[in-house]
Amino acid sequence: MSYLDNIRNFSIIAHIDHGKSTLADRLIEMTGLVESRDMKEQYLDNMDIERERGITIKLQTTRLSYKAKNGEEYILNLIDTPGHVDFNYEVSRSLAACDGAVLVVDATQGVEAQTLGNVYLALDEDLEILPVLNKMDLDSARPDDARAEIEDIIGLDASEAPEISAKTGQGVAEMLEKLVEVIPPPSGDPDGKLKALIFDSYYDSYKGVVIYTRVFDGKVKRGDMIRMMNTGKNYEVTEVGYCIPGMLPSGELKAGEVGYICGSIKQVADARVGDTITLAADPTSEPLKGYKKAQSMVYCGIFPAEGEKYENVKDALEKLQVNDAAFNFEPENSAALGYGYRCGFLGLLHMDVITERLAREFDLDVITTLPSVVYKVVMKDGQILDIQNPSNLPDPTLIAHIEEPIVKCDIMTPNDYVGSIMALCQGRRGNMVHMEYLTEKRVQLHYEMPLNEVIYDFFDALKSRTRGYASLDYEFLRYQPAKLVKLDILLNHELIDALSTIVPEEEAMAKGRGICEKLKEIIPRHQFEVPVQAAIGQKIIARETVRAYRKDVLAKCYGGDVSRKKKLLEKQKAGKKRMRQFGTVTVPQEAFTEVLKLDDGK
Amino acid sequence: MGNRRGIYIHIPFCVRKCNYCAFLSFEAETSPRTEYAEAVVKEIARRGEELGHPDIDTIYVGGGTPSVLDVSQMRDIMHEVGKAFRIKEGAEITIEANPATLGRKDGVMLAKMQAYKYMGFNRLSMGVQSMDNDRLHFLGRIHTPENIERDMDIVRRKGFYNVNLDMMFSVPSESKEDAMEDLEKILRFDPEHISCYSLQIEEGTPFAAMMESGEISEIPDEEDRDTYHKICARLREAGYEHYEISNFAKAGYRSQHNSLYWNMDDYIGIGLGASGFVNGVRYKNTSDFDEYFKAIDEGRFPVEEEHVNTAFDNISEAVFTGLRRVEGITYEDAMDAYMRAKDADLFLDSKKPEEAFWEIFEEAKEEAEDYASRGLLMIDGNGLRLTEQGIDISNSIMSLFV
Repeated sequence: MSYLDNIRNFSIIAHIDHGKSTLADRLIEMTGLVESRDMKEQYLDNMDIERERGITIKLQTTRLSYKAKNGEEYILNLIDTPGHVDFNYEVSRSLAACDGAVLVVDATQGVEAQTLGNVYLALDEDLEILPVLNKMDLDSARPDDARAEIEDIIGLDASEAPEISAKTGQGVAEMLEKLVEVIPPPSGDPDGKLKALIFDSYYDSYKGVVIYTRVFDGKVKRGDMIRMMNTGKNYEVTEVGYCIPGMLPSGELKAGEVGYICGSIKQVADARVGDTITLAADPTSEPLKGYKKAQSMVYCGIFPAEGEKYENVKDALEKLQVNDAAFNFEPENSAALGYGYRCGFLGLLHMDVITERLAREFDLDVITTLPSVVYKVVMKDGQILDIQNPSNLPDPTLIAHIEEPIVKCDIMTPNDYVGSIMALCQGRRGNMVHMEYLTEKRVQLHYEMPLNEVIYDFFDALKSRTRGYASLDYEFLRYQPAKLVKLDILLNHELIDALSTIVPEEEAMAKGRGICEKLKEIIPRHQFEVPVQAAIGQKIIARETVRAYRKDVLAKCYGGDVSRKKKLLEKQKAGKKRMRQFGTVTVPQEAFTEVLKLDDGK
Repeated sequence: MGNRRGIYIHIPFCVRKCNYCAFLSFEAETSPRTEYAEAVVKEIARRGEELGHPDIDTIYVGGGTPSVLDVSQMRDIMHEVGKAFRIKEGAEITIEANPATLGRKDGVMLAKMQAYKYMGFNRLSMGVQSMDNDRLHFLGRIHTPENIERDMDIVRRKGFYNVNLDMMFSVPSESKEDAMEDLEKILRFDPEHISCYSLQIEEGTPFAAMMESGEISEIPDEEDRDTYHKICARLREAGYEHYEISNFAKAGYRSQHNSLYWNMDDYIGIGLGASGFVNGVRYKNTSDFDEYFKAIDEGRFPVEEEHVNTAFDNISEAVFTGLRRVEGITYEDAMDAYMRAKDADLFLDSKKPEEAFWEIFEEAKEEAEDYASRGLLMIDGNGLRLTEQGIDISNSIMSLFV
């Protein structure tokens, strides 16, 4: 019997909120790795933002030790996956490190769009899948329906799916038994040439980049010279070990095992997720399949707010980049906002996470401008430009045509909402490819839609129209020509470049009007009237006026509660910090991000 | 500034809660009134002891509606105040009351007012709010214009000659003319003092929910401010001094107690949720009945928050509370407040108050001067004050100094 027989490498996959992290917590607790009292709620999601949103962005990997009823001691390597469509590539690489996956389905909700998306990713990696029904402690659990959905929609046999409650721990022990039985042990040759997959990495200020890896063949130990096959860079290994989830050094890592490698690597971009590690002196011939370069899908400008220092923003962005290979930035100069940075993200959530971290971890006041996708601008002279900043759009007379990115959107919904979703998608220039009834009551809609329409508030609009029941999955499809124009915004007759957007020509009028109305709401009243105008080129297509004057006085004195009054004034003062001054017009920070959220939820 | 001392006693009970009210108050019928009155008596005794039975310039019993307490309960409270503190000759002693809470029969009312006089109250503040029946009903008040007429008659008959009437304007759907009509009717009572509040829709009140659902909408700012300035003009014409943002008084009848708040004077807060400022420390009592009773039982003060003011806190509060007064704040008084804190920069004491003041608020100076150039703030060699236009955006100006 080989040592490989007692290893199980697996992931937990689930739709957002279906209880993946809670289950991970229970597994860690039940296999005795972490004392209960040391458990933070959801151990694996270790960033505050992740905990608050109930999602996982940065991965954690944990080695669990489990004694099964057959008396055997198993090593269970739980490899975490991010829980959002922005990070599909990262999910696929994590899954590639596994031999099986536990599919968590919320027994009160059933199968959702991301459940399916994740299952397909797992199938692509040829993983054995163990379906599990979660949230059985809730009265609203309907396991039979969920089981039927798993069988009908996904096509997996769910008749023996364990019924558990990750929250109370009910059924989790039985699930572990099943897991050892269903998920196969890894295969691999410990004496072959080293072939190890990087499925995650992060920067540690003492050890440099820590690589999370699954070894497929061969072995690696301290002192080895390793090579990253796609970037071609060599590093000397300073430490290898297991993730328990803290780091526990070991003599070596060998085929079938999961662990970490350190090698004084300066930034995570040098140890990209998906790359293959081999020995520089005795390399394997072929890297593992599936490596992709990170590609930014969404861009926005990040500028220091009033009183914030440019250098502070730069330092913070650099620190974030060291730890996030998918995030990139370059200096940008805006006439309205001054010096700042143009930043690229995998998607909107990724962008939110980065901007929130700037505020929380670095205590920075920044202004983020409207997100934009990357347009391919085909010039009359045949040149093709990638434009992700509307202000950089060349003179329209020089442009032959513009192409925009199109994504494939899969929306899963109860059939009651099909009509309102179709109306929403139509309003977002969506083309329905087809619609299928997954069950009598559940429908999947397949749309092709410009990414530009998805990045603003599509997800929110979808949720609000379906009372949160619809779910969304999307991926990039292709570039496609479109009639687009640059829409400019003027405040007090002054062009604010940071508010310019690229919009479809036919919608320019409506968008211009919508933006002006929104700005009218957002911009505080001044001592004078502020005209808000939308323009295409020289032509003004919409106008609103922020009326002058404002009541800003507290009539009551709160019976001597001076502290209460003081808090109000302090809040007001802090609010002002998050504004920007344009000539004599003060614009709050949210103007730059809220302005395109035009959906009224109807 | 800073050498007078008052007592505020909070009575958190009302017959019913008004639709706009975000103050700490509960329905009297279902609240532990007897237990509360007893606990307040103990808190008063304990404060008096702690502070060494000091002199007191003003007493203010507010709420809620203090007049919903039984006369005997109120008597016990005021009796204890007299034992625990030395009430100065001529001290201003105010009780808040709401129309229709002073007794249903004339005889009861007369006796109740008489009792208040015996307890030492010499100033009465009445929550009239409006003289229009529909509007009173809409506000959730329990009284009618007739109640007010009758109450005022008895109040005067019983010899209360220092009376404040509260009025509220910018009530949803109220016109400017409506407000001015209310004011005229209130002026007919010839009160010594009038407080005029612009209605603010506060979170968590029935009005906030009605606004959320679109049932009511706020009076537009322009109209609200227009009404406010009209009210100011009318009251000046009627012989009232406009001495604070929302307060107007005949000569000699400014509220002594409220002035403590705007002068950085000491005031001792007693009762549920009450705030105090004593010897440079701001404190706030718990707003939870159980906590309050427990603390009193265990011989502690029911204080939930306590903050030792820094020199900057002092000057900052002196400025933003002082700016509420039409006279504004002098550099001298502001620096005086600053110097009273232990962490004051003593070096500043050797400078001229004006110079020292602007050294502390160096960052605010440019914007303050900008407000001055727009006619909203007056800055001179003595200090600062808001203009009547400046009052409209007073929060923005005050927030420069926090």
